[in-house]
Amino acid sequence: MNLNTSLKAMGNRFQAIAVLCLLATALLTSTVVAAPGERYLHVRVEDAEKGESVNVNLPLSIAEKILPTVNKGNLHAGTVRISDADIEGVDIKAILEAIRTAPDNEFVTVKEQDQNVRVAKSNGNLIIHVRDNGKDKRGQKVEVTVPLKVVDALFSTAKQNELDITAAIRALDGAGEMLLVTVEDASQHVKIWVDSRNTSD
Amino acid sequence: MMLLGKLALGFAGTALAGAGLLCSEGIVVVNVVEKSPERHHIFVPAPAMLIPIAMHFAPKEKLAEASREIRPYLPTIRAAVEGLRESEDVTLVEVKEPGQHVRVSKSGGSIIVDVEDEENTVHVSTPIRAISSAIEQLAAADSNTRP
Repeated sequence: MNLNTSLKAMGNRFQAIAVLCLLATALLTSTVVAAPGERYLHVRVEDAEKGESVNVNLPLSIAEKILPTVNKGNLHAGTVRISDADIEGVDIKAILEAIRTAPDNEFVTVKEQDQNVRVAKSNGNLIIHVRDNGKDKRGQKVEVTVPLKVVDALFSTAKQNELDITAAIRALDGAGEMLLVTVEDASQHVKIWVDSRNTSD
Repeated sequence: MMLLGKLALGFAGTALAGAGLLCSEGIVVVNVVEKSPERHHIFVPAPAMLIPIAMHFAPKEKLAEASREIRPYLPTIRAAVEGLRESEDVTLVEVKEPGQHVRVSKSGGSIIVDVEDEENTVHVSTPIRAISSAIEQLAAADSNTRP
């Protein structure tokens, strides 16, 4: 009788432990799924002619930490200084403000015999497409898509002639998964993108 | 008999604690396999704790010189090491060329460098904690030599 009672009590205890284990597992699993993952900046360069490829996968959090510590050349404390000559008196912030407030549109379309250029705004992104069919360029195609909030972050410093790279990386981290740059020609292919996968595959 | 048992237990405990202390910074692994017909194989697993110990025996002047050279880059190196320690496992760089494959990755608290070419296969694994300790020791080397 006593043995039966003890076995029943043990069975109940095991059941309770099993239920607790299941709950804990479910809680942990949901926490893991819900946790915001690390985002990576991927750079892939492939040269089909030479049979070479380079893949770089950089966690954005590391880039954010490293950039403010670099003081070399034009890069200081996470900002890049552009020479005044490059700006040539153009108020870049005013132009960006105009682009931001404008509806989705094609701003520039240039069609020449060897070159097509297109600058547009679409779904909060600044899009630049260049296709060059010149002799040296071998049908080079460049496509750049940058979220406007990344561009905003880039120009968020108080100084007119500085780009805030750290702020741009931070904004990129929050912008979601996206293809930023592709450059293609007859043999080379360059791709830069952001996602939450730790490999370039 | 009892006394012998206690002594053995003491020795075993000390050896175990010593081994634990020695391996507390992880293990540095160097594995080199030559692809020549002789096929030499070098496999060296060494406690990472030995790196700072070995640095004590390096000439002080040389260490101080290295320390001065590394000083401007210390904040960047520290930030990179801290970021790597906190990040998930990732292949940081991978380069493929005909006959050569290089991969630098972070895996389980270590930085791993794998190089494969036509002659050798090289694998080096270094715990990030050991890299951090060695860098801090190197950083302190300059101030240690000053009077």
